[in-house]
Amino acid sequence: MFSTSSQRKFWTFSDENELACHREKHNLEFISRHGQNLDEQQRYNYFLSPEEERLLLKQYELHLKEFCKRFQPPMPKGVIGTAFHYFKRFYLYNSSMDYHPKEILATCVYLACKVEEFNVSIGQFVANIKGDREKASDIILNNELLLMQQLNYHLTVHNPFRPVEGFLIDIKTRCSLANPERLCSGIDEFLEKVFLTDACLLYAPSQIALAAVLHAASKEQENLDSYVTDMLFRDAGPDKLAILIEAVRKIRSMVKMVESPARERVRAIEKKLDRCRNQENNPDSEIYKQRIREALDEDDVQYTGTSRMSLDTSGVTQVLSPSAS
Amino acid sequence: MDDQACPRCKTTKYRNPSLKLMVNVCGHALCESCVELLFLKGSGSCPDCNVPLRRSNFRVQLFEDSMVEKEIDIRKRILKDFNKKEEDFATLRDYNDYLEDIESIIFNLVNNIDIINTNKKIDQYKKDNKELIMKNKAKIGREELELEEILEIEKQMEDLRRTEVLRIDQEAKKQKIREKEALIDELMFADGDAKDILNTFSQSLANKQEEIVPVSVPKVTHFSSGVKFTRGSGQQPLPIIEEGPLYKYEPLAIPDRCGPDTPSIKEIISKGYLQHVRAENETEKAGGYKSTLPCLRALQDALAGLYHTS
Repeated sequence: MFSTSSQRKFWTFSDENELACHREKHNLEFISRHGQNLDEQQRYNYFLSPEEERLLLKQYELHLKEFCKRFQPPMPKGVIGTAFHYFKRFYLYNSSMDYHPKEILATCVYLACKVEEFNVSIGQFVANIKGDREKASDIILNNELLLMQQLNYHLTVHNPFRPVEGFLIDIKTRCSLANPERLCSGIDEFLEKVFLTDACLLYAPSQIALAAVLHAASKEQENLDSYVTDMLFRDAGPDKLAILIEAVRKIRSMVKMVESPARERVRAIEKKLDRCRNQENNPDSEIYKQRIREALDEDDVQYTGTSRMSLDTSGVTQVLSPSAS
Repeated sequence: MDDQACPRCKTTKYRNPSLKLMVNVCGHALCESCVELLFLKGSGSCPDCNVPLRRSNFRVQLFEDSMVEKEIDIRKRILKDFNKKEEDFATLRDYNDYLEDIESIIFNLVNNIDIINTNKKIDQYKKDNKELIMKNKAKIGREELELEEILEIEKQMEDLRRTEVLRIDQEAKKQKIREKEALIDELMFADGDAKDILNTFSQSLANKQEEIVPVSVPKVTHFSSGVKFTRGSGQQPLPIIEEGPLYKYEPLAIPDRCGPDTPSIKEIISKGYLQHVRAENETEKAGGYKSTLPCLRALQDALAGLYHTS
């Protein structure tokens, strides 16, 4: 249930300013961490600004949508919704300069497949990715735990798809709307666009679903207002109705505002990102490879390290340890 | 019997009275010491016919003619699989034919006639009747167990009866001695006619004999080994566990759904919500699935959170 979920408690925010605040904070943190010896102008030229990051992530959300649509075997809608949630949640608290969105994108979809019980193996999964598949599966598996950690292990996502089904059943039962099935295409279209906005970080899934149903109805020149006011909110009181109307209006306007970012602009940003991204998290960089090597060697190092320590600190282990005798 | 001799070392019963002849599946005999010598490693081949044999399959020859031993072996092996009963056949004629078949198979194997084809026939039979063979085997096992139980009960009854008879015998002996003494005492000290006394005594004796009541025999429920019979005599009573205060169900507090109330399952059924949900099919019904559940869930999800305020 949404009202008691971690989604409501931790991942539903009051307004867009709050979201922007979080994103800006992490953008600035990254810049101050990595650009200590640069002045203001250099920083501006070298790093991505918060707006540039937004634009880039919007572009990658489009990529995410395309990737999921083309995915073989075709995935249920719930997986796509969950993947979008993960992607948005991840970049609320991380900068795209720290973790490249193309890597996080694939990881989000992979994790969403697991959580939504859409069973694909990693081999099947990377078959949908162009380029070096072995490298891709390495990246995904390496990032999976990081992603879960950044999501604070709040993996259950409430998507608007089931609420839509609920509303349709309810409308068919309680309303005299002729052929409600014709709303479906409008609803699907609307929900597809909703995920390109921040609506799912601001509103309850049922509110988004209702907005989708109402939008689809108005497209079909039908009016479901009486269903909302007389049936859903009959016992609720005008204040709650006002809140819902405002939410629906806001969601619909957000969807209306969706536009794909200009291509040249994004290309420039991507070039900039290639230079300024955190090389420690870039699987192609020397630093990254070296770190992986170190991590692999660490097992041995750690082992000798600890045994030496125990020799120093306790006399009992000294006696028992074979190397001491 | 005296001409019994080991075909290998030529020892006879006359020269070695403790001679024991052993046979294996091929039917050729060997004396015990030859077996030990030849099958030191556990397996080897028969010196007569070169058939590979295992030492563990050697057993003491019971019949003078070792061919009989061979036949017993083969019969045992064949009957393990050819275990159909008369009930498995439609007519008596079929059953008789089947028995005839078995005999001819055994005969062929014993006398090395057409071995290849006979073995093929056995294999074919095994393949065709796999299930029936398994079933009958289990049945035979069960029947054997039943028989064993019956035997055991009979044995215990027998024991009880024997001890009972012994007891009664002793009792009667003692009684007789006592009566005799009483009679003699009476004859010695009473003043009445000796004939009368004798008469009254024989009368009371006859009365007493009628009074002996048969002792009830306790029911047998255990094998002599102490194992309980598995069937029939009912299950063991469940152990009684000391209980604390009874569990009292308290309905879960339903958290605020943050939206309008959803219809109950009853309302979902009565108000016709189910017309708009895919009905469950037979298979799903068997698994406990009902279309009311997804319907309820969809409605709950739709209505929960509608009052959400940021």
